[in-house]
Amino acid sequence: MNELGYYKVGDTLLREPPARDACFKVVMSDADMHEYGDMSDVAKREILHRHMTNEMTSVDMAAACVAEFPDAPWGLRMELARQAWDESRHVRVLYRRLKELGGYKGEFPISTLEWDITSACDNVIGRITIQNRTLEAGAMDVIGAITQTMRTAGDLETAEVLDGINTDEIQHVRFSNRWIKTLAKGNPRVLMQMAAAIRFVTDANAKFQIQDGGEVNAVGTALASPESRIPAVNVDFRQLAEFTEDEIHEILRQAGFRSLLPAEAAA
Amino acid sequence: MRKITSVVERCNTIATFRRISIWLMETTARWTPITAEMEVKVTLGRHIWEYAQMADALGKRTFELRQPEHYTIPAIEAYEALMKDVAATTGTAERISALYDGMIPGIIQRYSDYIAATDPILDEPTTAIMERIVTDLKRQLKDIEALRQEVTLEKGAGTAIAAREKAIAHILAAGKAAA
Repeated sequence: MNELGYYKVGDTLLREPPARDACFKVVMSDADMHEYGDMSDVAKREILHRHMTNEMTSVDMAAACVAEFPDAPWGLRMELARQAWDESRHVRVLYRRLKELGGYKGEFPISTLEWDITSACDNVIGRITIQNRTLEAGAMDVIGAITQTMRTAGDLETAEVLDGINTDEIQHVRFSNRWIKTLAKGNPRVLMQMAAAIRFVTDANAKFQIQDGGEVNAVGTALASPESRIPAVNVDFRQLAEFTEDEIHEILRQAGFRSLLPAEAAA
Repeated sequence: MRKITSVVERCNTIATFRRISIWLMETTARWTPITAEMEVKVTLGRHIWEYAQMADALGKRTFELRQPEHYTIPAIEAYEALMKDVAATTGTAERISALYDGMIPGIIQRYSDYIAATDPILDEPTTAIMERIVTDLKRQLKDIEALRQEVTLEKGAGTAIAAREKAIAHILAAGKAAA
């Protein structure tokens, strides 16, 4: 295999999944994942395993941007190349922690849907809008919340790993915000590409997400509705990632004005 | 060994090395999503960033030598053809072997040859960059050795690629050495 093609879900064109070790079972929906919804040992391992494999997908996405957009500004390519390394380190550190907790590669089902959606986009602005400005920004919120939960549960080591990772993610979101602003100054089409990418990721996600809640996943955990699954907003990190106050307000509105308390997020 | 004495030849050689660094960055980046083995994928992730830094440092040096920043020129045709063939290699073990057994040792030698051939004082900014590059490339070979302890990766295509690489005397495209 030398190139990854495309496939269709309804009228949406998605990218074929990236290659994965044979030990991994790749699934398409949250209902097929093994989210346990508590802080038992197996639940903690599943969180780490899921996060580790999401970081693998992030390595793939950053690398694909480097390979597929040779005409992007050199400074942006440098940021994406650096991101490929950062995400690689995240995989390694999460794998190390997973093994320390008795887990192993392929212990739980995984998803590559973030790649399938993001890498279907045919322009670099769309890619960084989806991967960095949307998914990684959302991950800052999710990881911030999990970090707090791990601390509360007494697993300080995992909490420190996650906090270190989240700090790198700030830069990934920040450089996408900076580059989009810079490139939009000289080319209004950039904002149209950004808007189109946001529409695309919203539509594509809708095809896979749980519709009303009440669904039960593969290990019997009741899954909340999409609205209830929106994490509390990590306002401090969003500010560091250079979202505008208006943008942060809009994200807070979507999250029902739930935010991580700064003191807790940074503790 | 013939000495490199002109600014133009120095700059053109650096611009050609930059071309090779960009190729290394893009090739490893293209291989990453199609590489199944997690350990290999994360090793490539690190190397992508290192190749980008090499290209960046070389590109800044071209500006100091009277050309635009990030001035880049293609290598001699035979070397471009070799790079194309390596990039088209299929299978993880074959790709890793083609690049790290086949190409990188030869590239290290070419940097070392440049360092030996240029004026060590006048062109010290270049040799300082290249010495760092050589250190990183040698460490990458150790990364691959370590990787082979974790993942089964047979040495395959590397020997033939190394022979082809070695058979190409100079990377500079025709007319660029004496320009």
